[in-house]
Amino acid sequence: MTAVIQVENVVKDVRPGFGLRRKRVLHDVSLRIERGEIFGFVGPNGAGKTTTMKILMGLIRATSGRATILGHAVGETEFRREIGFLPENPIFYDYLTGRETLEFYARLSGLESRARRERVALLLDWVGLDGAADQRLRSYSKGMLQRVGIAQALVHDPSVVFLDEPMSGLDPLGRKAIRDLILRLREDGKTVFMNTHILSDMEMVCDRIAIIVAGRVRYQGRIEEYLASECGQVDVTLESVTPELAGVLESQYGAELRGVRERIEFRLDSKHVPAVLRAALDGGAGVSEVSPHRPSLEKVFLTAVRDAAAADHRADGESDA
Amino acid sequence: MSSLTRIYTIAANTVREAVRDKLMYAIFTVSVLITLGCVVLSTLSYVEGTRIMQDLAFTTMRVFCAATAILIGINLLHREVERRTIYMILSKPITRSEFLLGKYAGLVATTWLMLLCMGLVFAGVSFAAGAPVHPGHVVAIAMLGIEMVIVVAVAILFSSFTTPMLAALYTVGIYVVGHLTQNLYHLATASGDAGVGQIGVWLYRVLPDLELYDLSIQAVHGLPIPAGDIWLPVTYAAGYASVLLLAASLLFERRDLR
Repeated sequence: MTAVIQVENVVKDVRPGFGLRRKRVLHDVSLRIERGEIFGFVGPNGAGKTTTMKILMGLIRATSGRATILGHAVGETEFRREIGFLPENPIFYDYLTGRETLEFYARLSGLESRARRERVALLLDWVGLDGAADQRLRSYSKGMLQRVGIAQALVHDPSVVFLDEPMSGLDPLGRKAIRDLILRLREDGKTVFMNTHILSDMEMVCDRIAIIVAGRVRYQGRIEEYLASECGQVDVTLESVTPELAGVLESQYGAELRGVRERIEFRLDSKHVPAVLRAALDGGAGVSEVSPHRPSLEKVFLTAVRDAAAADHRADGESDA
Repeated sequence: MSSLTRIYTIAANTVREAVRDKLMYAIFTVSVLITLGCVVLSTLSYVEGTRIMQDLAFTTMRVFCAATAILIGINLLHREVERRTIYMILSKPITRSEFLLGKYAGLVATTWLMLLCMGLVFAGVSFAAGAPVHPGHVVAIAMLGIEMVIVVAVAILFSSFTTPMLAALYTVGIYVVGHLTQNLYHLATASGDAGVGQIGVWLYRVLPDLELYDLSIQAVHGLPIPAGDIWLPVTYAAGYASVLLLAASLLFERRDLR
């Protein structure tokens, strides 16, 4: 597969306030996003998600490293007709109507007059704003503004779309609408790079994720693999379990049994599964279900953030010593 | 899509923003009221009442056009960055320089629009007061418009790298000094001290000479305006504004939009 977005060892230093001392906010960040993927970039507030996206949008410059989109350095301009961008909490010219806003961005994107009119009408319909198209944006709700933001990002039919916290501040209905839009982009073969800290939404739409904490990418890959790598436990349900067998499971494998009468459920380390199943079958029990334990992404994510913070704290302590 | 089309798109939107902004109407209304007040003031004089009226009206036009250019100009880039509206614009195929030039052209067009409206009010008041209106007046008003080419460029330059408050301070300072540079030059050449003289001449060359654009005396008194008093200042404005815009572009291109 072709890498559509590539970030290689990007470092960003900033100078807070007027001091000379620099603070590193991105440490050797590397990402690779393939064509047609929906990629979720997740991390707590201040982790470096928006900074990375701003570098990709050419709004700020990396201190070192390299970032490309569709093979072009992010500082170039012309290739931007192939990308769309929705910033976090977008603010628009509120003296324009919804239609004028999309016309303005379509014109900047280089759409000719007829194509512009058609595309604007299509997008207004797509995001459900055709009824309010001729109202000034100052009368729009937050959800409507977010949809205008999505529409302006797509008005020139880009092949790569960047969304910074697209669901932030929206009610459940608004989030569902945006999720559906993102899934529709996947159907249309677009590549989507999405910053978010709403894990449930990300879990529903993203093919792959990267987790960034304190400016360092801690994981990059598929969500299922990440969850599996962070767990390694298996849920087992057995039927017709005798008290003797239950005793063996508890004493030899450390399983915490939960159950009613002869049906029990327990969780154990995946390496014990063959031996436990053999013992169960030898003891006359029936095996109802064996499935890998799937912890919530939120729980795993919070653990990763805590671990990363602890590691950074230790590293700081060692460097001070 | 050409660079000019992109610049035009930004410029047209800047004009639209100003036209839909109450600030413009407030400035225009006050300027109209003051112009009408000039008629009343002129009646206090026994001689040349209409000339005094036109002279005061020209000063009103000059001050209010400069106020529009400075008030809007100092915020032009800062507000785009502060409100993050620039993020979506720069994600499209447009360079920062094109954006800056578009904002500049839009504000110059806005001040010209303002000047046109004020010029019509001036003509109306002059007719009503029985004062003559001739092509010299049109030339003098047009030269005010050319002066705005420099004033807006100064405001944009400061807006590209500093806060609105400081940009206002610097731009007003340059505007006031710009109307005094000819005096500065005369003082420098008359100075007995060679060092002071050189510094004075150097400052005169670096700072804009905005008095070149004040043809109100010729217009009000019906004096002839030589062609050189028009094309030389126009060329000077084009060159001076180009240098300022080039500097503003370089500063803005390098800036991190955080």
